[in-house]
Amino acid sequence: MFDYAWLLFAFPALGALIILFLGPWLSQKIVGWIASLAVLSAFGVALALFASLYALPEEARSITITYWEWMTIANFSVPAAVLIDPLSIMMAIVVTGVGGLIHIYSIGYMDHEPRYQRFFFYLNFFILAMLILVMSNNFLGTFVGWEGVGLASYLLIGFWFAKRDDQYGWYADAGKKAFLVNRIGDAAYLLAMFIIWSSVGSLTYAVVEETAALLPTTTLVFITLLLLFAVSGKSAQFPLYVWLPEAMAGPTPVSALIHAATMVTAGVYLIVRTGHLWDLTPIVAQTVGWIGILTAFFAATLAIVQVDLKKILAYSTISQLGYMVAAAAVGAPGSAIFILVAHAFFKALLFLGAGSVMHATDGVIDVRRLGGLRHKMPQTYITFLIGAMALGGIPLLSGFWAKDAVLAGIAADGAFLIYSVGVVTALLTAIYSFRAVFLTFNGKPRDMHVYEHAHENKLIMVGPLWILAFFSITIGWFNTPFALAMEEFLSASTGHQEHVGLFLELVVVTISTIVSLFGLLYAWARYIRGEHWTLTLASWFAWLQPALDNKWYVDRVYDAVIVRPLAAVAGWFARVFDPKVIDGAVNAVGDVTVDAGEAVRKLQNGAIPTYAFSIFLGVVVVLIYFIFAG
Amino acid sequence: MPELPIPIPPLPTLHESVFMAIALLTVVGAFLVVAARNLFHNALGLALTFFGVAGVYFVAEAEFVGVAQVLVYVGAISTLITFAIMLTRGMMYGATSPLNRQAGTAAIIAATVFVVMAGLLGSLPWPVAEEPIVDGQIVIANLGVGFVTEFVVAFLLLAVLLLVALAGAIVLAQDRK
Amino acid sequence: MNNASLELNIVALAPAASMVIFALLVMAVDVFARGTRTQPVRAATPWVALLGVLVTAGVCVWLLGQPVTTFQGMAILDRYSLGIAFVVLVAAGLSILVSARYIPRVNAQVGEYYALILLISAGMMMMGAATDLIVVFLALETFSLGLYILAGLRRSDAMSSEAAMKYFLLGAFASGFFVYGAALVYGATGATQFEQIAAMATNPATDLTFIYPGIALLIVGFGFKVSLVPFHMWTPDVYQGAPTPVTAFMSAATKAAAFAAFYRVFLVALPSQQAVWGPALATLAVLTMTLGNLAALRQSSLKRLLAYSSISHAGYILVGLAAGSIAGVEASLFYLLSYAFMNIGAFAVVTLLEKQGEMDADGARLRGLGQRKPLLAAVMAIFMFSLAGVPPFAGFFAKFFVFAAAVQGGMSWLAAIAMLNSAIGAYYYLRVTVVMYFNAPDAETVSEVKSNWPLNVGIGVALAFTILLGVFPSLWTTLMESGVVTALALR
Repeated sequence: MFDYAWLLFAFPALGALIILFLGPWLSQKIVGWIASLAVLSAFGVALALFASLYALPEEARSITITYWEWMTIANFSVPAAVLIDPLSIMMAIVVTGVGGLIHIYSIGYMDHEPRYQRFFFYLNFFILAMLILVMSNNFLGTFVGWEGVGLASYLLIGFWFAKRDDQYGWYADAGKKAFLVNRIGDAAYLLAMFIIWSSVGSLTYAVVEETAALLPTTTLVFITLLLLFAVSGKSAQFPLYVWLPEAMAGPTPVSALIHAATMVTAGVYLIVRTGHLWDLTPIVAQTVGWIGILTAFFAATLAIVQVDLKKILAYSTISQLGYMVAAAAVGAPGSAIFILVAHAFFKALLFLGAGSVMHATDGVIDVRRLGGLRHKMPQTYITFLIGAMALGGIPLLSGFWAKDAVLAGIAADGAFLIYSVGVVTALLTAIYSFRAVFLTFNGKPRDMHVYEHAHENKLIMVGPLWILAFFSITIGWFNTPFALAMEEFLSASTGHQEHVGLFLELVVVTISTIVSLFGLLYAWARYIRGEHWTLTLASWFAWLQPALDNKWYVDRVYDAVIVRPLAAVAGWFARVFDPKVIDGAVNAVGDVTVDAGEAVRKLQNGAIPTYAFSIFLGVVVVLIYFIFAG
Repeated sequence: MPELPIPIPPLPTLHESVFMAIALLTVVGAFLVVAARNLFHNALGLALTFFGVAGVYFVAEAEFVGVAQVLVYVGAISTLITFAIMLTRGMMYGATSPLNRQAGTAAIIAATVFVVMAGLLGSLPWPVAEEPIVDGQIVIANLGVGFVTEFVVAFLLLAVLLLVALAGAIVLAQDRK
Repeated sequence: MNNASLELNIVALAPAASMVIFALLVMAVDVFARGTRTQPVRAATPWVALLGVLVTAGVCVWLLGQPVTTFQGMAILDRYSLGIAFVVLVAAGLSILVSARYIPRVNAQVGEYYALILLISAGMMMMGAATDLIVVFLALETFSLGLYILAGLRRSDAMSSEAAMKYFLLGAFASGFFVYGAALVYGATGATQFEQIAAMATNPATDLTFIYPGIALLIVGFGFKVSLVPFHMWTPDVYQGAPTPVTAFMSAATKAAAFAAFYRVFLVALPSQQAVWGPALATLAVLTMTLGNLAALRQSSLKRLLAYSSISHAGYILVGLAAGSIAGVEASLFYLLSYAFMNIGAFAVVTLLEKQGEMDADGARLRGLGQRKPLLAAVMAIFMFSLAGVPPFAGFFAKFFVFAAAVQGGMSWLAAIAMLNSAIGAYYYLRVTVVMYFNAPDAETVSEVKSNWPLNVGIGVALAFTILLGVFPSLWTTLMESGVVTALALR
């Protein structure tokens, strides 16, 4: 089977090419189905690879297939090769499986969209890039996928570029913000890669893993710090998370696929893939643990006050990613991947549910105008509720087991402070999850016009919701505390296997259960019953309101520290250069007819002396340097 | 014969007087470039300066550099400039002012350059050739041999350079459409 | 002088000689076909020139298999000089294709135009082959003189004439510094040949007082040609004023030629002074890329945008020299090649956006190109992404190799600054794609884009290699790999 691993890439690539070249002659439905089939075929390949891998003895579950020598310079070479091991295949299954469902859903969701060809092309391209990211056996290949998914994300966030509203401004600008913030992370990734290259002499994960222990600590700290930046860009962690809420400008299936289920988890994948590096640098790993859990906490506080259903989910995603990053860094990578997989299902479900609401209400997504939709959209309601229960950590659903695994892993690692922040965050998570459900689907309709208009969607959209709901419930059963099947399978890649003591496990499970049920109770009491004690409880935190309204001031700090100074510099250049540019442009049109005498006049008033003066200044400075340095 | 109370400064040798004449020529040419009101005269002044510099090289017995100077600057570049000006009616006959608002800055720059260069020349210990070049040595002939042996690459490149100048002159000479 | 010591291996000059021969052929075809009846023959001049480029490329491929040959210590044939020759040939070939329908609109002297392109290319190849300061200087002047003329090709256009004049005057100014620098180096070491300079520079008996100001002035001379800050100010004006195919040629080929000699002089003749010039070049690199990028942020003219972009790219390439290692040289060679493809490709697209009688296009004209001309927009987007350094295009690996070389050379800080810079740079390249895809077309948008087949072939080739070099960078690196090491004989 491994000989056919290339099919994994071939299907989405073929799909993208067919859509690109034949798309204009095909109907919307057919284009959508071609794209979906391409991804589903890749899903089939991924499952087959998984089966073949599972059939192998545990120690043999790491297959490298080299296709060609990608590049060779000096004594250094990088192959174009894939690495098939439990970690990569798990990621591939999630990407193609959830991705396939979202493709099918999109056929229904984008039925009014004239540029469906472009949409599905981007989606298939994204799947291809994401597969390259997770399947490559070296840093460079992963980087190519990393940039590819970034590009797809940028194109899809700005998909409705001509739209503009108060929330996002120009939609195209939201895409730009995402791309540029990510470029900062990418630069860090590149730099990390260079340092690895120059110190290890190879970019292959296996070689780096073997030699990492020989590297000096400072080098390792540099590498991991840079990777941390890369991760915080892609996985929307502090301080680079700011782009993700804006990314909600993209079509909802895109938010589900890229900004919840798959792309944003690339950072988590990278940490797990390079786990050995983090193990060697406990200080950085601790830092990352804190960054992750604090991001989780702060994002959760923001999720509680959002009124846009998609923004709630966006901050929730940041928060959940925080859990993953924290777990991956502090030595529970198996549970990090577990929550990644579970999250992919239930968050995709929630986003698609939100999209279903949007589709039904003609784009109204402000929870203040919704309410009571359960009567109009019973299927969406039930599936959304399942998703929220999973997210909120209601016992026996996947999110419960996942969060439990993460928290138990952190606790077992002795990081009790991080653990306690994690518990508080879990409470907040439960509250905002049910707040979202109750405000949208329960209670009385707040805007009758919207309510009247709403309707349940077609099977092509609801079907994927049910499938995702099914997995949101059941996927956790593969990894219950005393039968960690998934983590055991993954341990061949992660090198970790968390064994949490029975007592600790019971304590953690109990606390998690209490916390999530209390969250549910609170949300129910407040948003459905409107009981007084909930408001009293909330009023204790009223002093935080301004900070929450201003998103903890992060955007403002960025504006003051980075954006404004940069704009000022650019503005200065504009003042110095623009007069010349405008002059030049006007003259370019006018001067064609002007005779050469005019040119002479221009020449004399021109800036040649300035230019010469600049050269001359340079000469003086360079000369002085060389005379004194020499 | 009684000694004169004041020693007469020694007369410049032939060598030195030639140098001075050439230097004067060069400076005059340079002045013409800056000060003449007609662009064509500026160009001629430039050619004169180039010639003068070549002369200085010859006096310093750096014949090769001198020849290169003549070929490149007098032969190619001056010709090109002159052509360009001659073929541009407005430039050929118009009188223009050598002064503009950048004149002051230019003067300052020029003065600074002069001071820096003169300072460098005066303060740096230039190495002196250990044995003077013997009179009557056939320097030019050696140069000729050098051109077809040691410096043949340079010589060939000079030919290409002239070819470029030639083609360029044709392009520039073309009348406007 | 001992005749027996002469090594007149004419083969060392073969690539340049081949170009000169074809230049003469082009001129001959042009002259003998001046009659009205022979007009079709005259129209063949670009194809003769292109044939020259292809034949010379064939010669170069054949020479790749030949041992390293020197010519009197003044020129050398090695993988490095051949690598530069390839880059120059790519630039010349693509520019000829872009020029084929463009130049006749600009200047009637079509034959001489192509002859000049070939002669300039010959000069540029000599920059890569030169192992003697005299040859470097002559080669420099040969190609510069030709470029001054080409910049002013459109004589009826004041901007074009102004560009030529500016370029010429400032170029002469910079050449002056270059010669002065060469003279000072000669004064210090008594040699003009690189190997001898290196030997003298390490000889404790040599008085090295003059060598440092000499190096400084050499940097100025080269710095002007590759447009390093603060010797860059001519670049936007000249790039904007020159006919676009000339700008395209100039941007890629001049960089290759000037960097070629820059590298060889500093790494072969002056390696023992690296402790002094390394930091200086690193500083210049930082200045250059930062200023180039910042200035590019607010440009509206596409050609000025690409001009400032080209300044910043000079900064990136210089990082490779500052690193001062074999990897740096190889990386820069790859960078120059990639840059030739993607940048000429971008300029070729610009020619399509120009209106009749114009030689520049405003960025606003890209509005909605994604809807009007989806294919053209996609092509332009790829060139932009490649220039921004997004994988898997050639520009990514170019940057990757150069920055990696800097890290290997112990200059991680420089690589970090360079990468931050490329993040800034991504902004304005991205803006081009944003305007093409995310802005609605308006009246300014070009209503009809008149294409022609030579141009399309040119764009196609540039596109193909921009992608190919990104997916299979080893195509080039294995071709060149072994050669650079022997070429520069780094100590």
